[in-house]
Amino acid sequence: MTAPIPLTITRLTKRYRLPSGGDIEAVSDVSFEVGAGECFGLLGPNGAGKTTVINCLSGLYPVTSGEVTLGGIDVHRDPKAARRLLGVCAQEDTLDSDFRVFDQLVRYATFFRIQVEEGRRRARALLERFGLNGRADDPVESLSGGMKRRLQVARALISAPKLLVLDEPTTGLDPEMRRVLWDILMEERAAGTAILLCTHYMDEAERLCDRVAIIARGRILDVDAPSRMIARHMGTQEVVDELRPGVVWRRAPNLEDVYLKLTGTHLRWERQEA
Amino acid sequence: MTIFGAPWRQIADSLWGVRCVWLRYFDVFRKSLVYYLVTTFSEPILYLLAFGFGVGSLVGSLEVGGAEVSYRRFVFAGIIGQTLLFQGFYEASYGGFVRMYYQKIFSAMAVTPITLSEVLWGELLWDASKATLAAEVVVLIGTASGDFPPFAPFALLPLAFVSALLFAGLGLAVAARARAIEEISYPQYLIVFPMFLFCGVFYPIETLPRALQWLAWALPLTSVNSLARTITLGFPFQPWSIAILAAWLMLLVGYSRRAMVGRLVK
Repeated sequence: MTAPIPLTITRLTKRYRLPSGGDIEAVSDVSFEVGAGECFGLLGPNGAGKTTVINCLSGLYPVTSGEVTLGGIDVHRDPKAARRLLGVCAQEDTLDSDFRVFDQLVRYATFFRIQVEEGRRRARALLERFGLNGRADDPVESLSGGMKRRLQVARALISAPKLLVLDEPTTGLDPEMRRVLWDILMEERAAGTAILLCTHYMDEAERLCDRVAIIARGRILDVDAPSRMIARHMGTQEVVDELRPGVVWRRAPNLEDVYLKLTGTHLRWERQEA
Repeated sequence: MTIFGAPWRQIADSLWGVRCVWLRYFDVFRKSLVYYLVTTFSEPILYLLAFGFGVGSLVGSLEVGGAEVSYRRFVFAGIIGQTLLFQGFYEASYGGFVRMYYQKIFSAMAVTPITLSEVLWGELLWDASKATLAAEVVVLIGTASGDFPPFAPFALLPLAFVSALLFAGLGLAVAARARAIEEISYPQYLIVFPMFLFCGVFYPIETLPRALQWLAWALPLTSVNSLARTITLGFPFQPWSIAILAAWLMLLVGYSRRAMVGRLVK
């Protein structure tokens, strides 16, 4: 018997009422799965429905139709059991500023029925791994934006989740810290953790993700491995970018070109073809 | 597993979740004990001193229902209800709004094996626990000074907790409806302060014009004060107080939870 798939989303549709009245369909008929040891990227412009997908898969939002299972458990039927397998790093800062860095992790671990001693052991290891062990006894508010971001990812890992969900994890990180985080994510992936990564950074998605889905206005436009997606949509033809008048950059096509072409927010490709 | 196994396990699981949330609040309280002791206890103690001894020595005693009672005893009993109102309301309204809106800890906890429903029960029960603790300090001072009978701290406990939960429900409902933290001032001036001034904390409501008396009875604090004085001072039991409190309790706790879920869940 094979182990259950960490995340399956089947025909997920989510409509809700806007504060101003009127309904919006934030997610339409979205299906994908993320296997053990796979990093799956969800790429799309602001308001495309990425965060709504995350809120539905964590069971916080009820779905209009469709089904989400975590490790084979329906998250809306048995949220407590399903979420024991889930670690979430939200897009916004949800750190508990009433606790210091170390205590924060230990307290959060108790929500997963992890004993305090075991929580402390894991918190020490995570702070070491994320380069935060010098700040263990500091209040969260004293951390820089990048440190808070790292702490929030570390907190999502305290329960050793089967599925790690990261919503814009590297926003506000400097290039060095971004690489530290990338290395940690790749270690997690190698250890068999399934990762769902929502990001605006196409270089990040291209580098980390085994497969990516491009989502716009609540619908998945395409799903594939980054290299295959680039080949299908852009071919192998060189892209000519006019960086500023008189400075031209010739380069291989990348995921950002696909993203811009599919989401239709930029006309550079058409312009170059014309 | 028997057929009764599943629901019992679910109930135990939910209680565990509520306990986890309550312990998170208790841990914050414990870590900043001095801050919380000062902010929780100084207010009721100041009221006790100012009105009990200050105003109390001017007024002397008053007659209620044919019996004479010293103003100090009368107002001490009223400050129990006032403490429950202020502590329950402020912790849940301003505190709840900060936790929900700025710290976002409700949403952070509600994606762990703890559900949003359990988070909100933990919030309300903690707010009620803290207000009950503050009110019990007032009762203990009143008991130590000989104004209340020795059994008062125990006898008042159920009433104090239920009332605190009711006022926490009011506070959490306000937090759920407020678009910005400043908007909490509306119910503060339009509901909380009127209750504080017109529901029998400082004087028997029988001295008010009849229309205001009806209004005072419609608000929950009058019933809290009536029952607290029955227990501590032996005032006549007004049984409709229990019905009024039960109605407000169910309305406010139910509504606050629905409103907060409506705010956080789409």
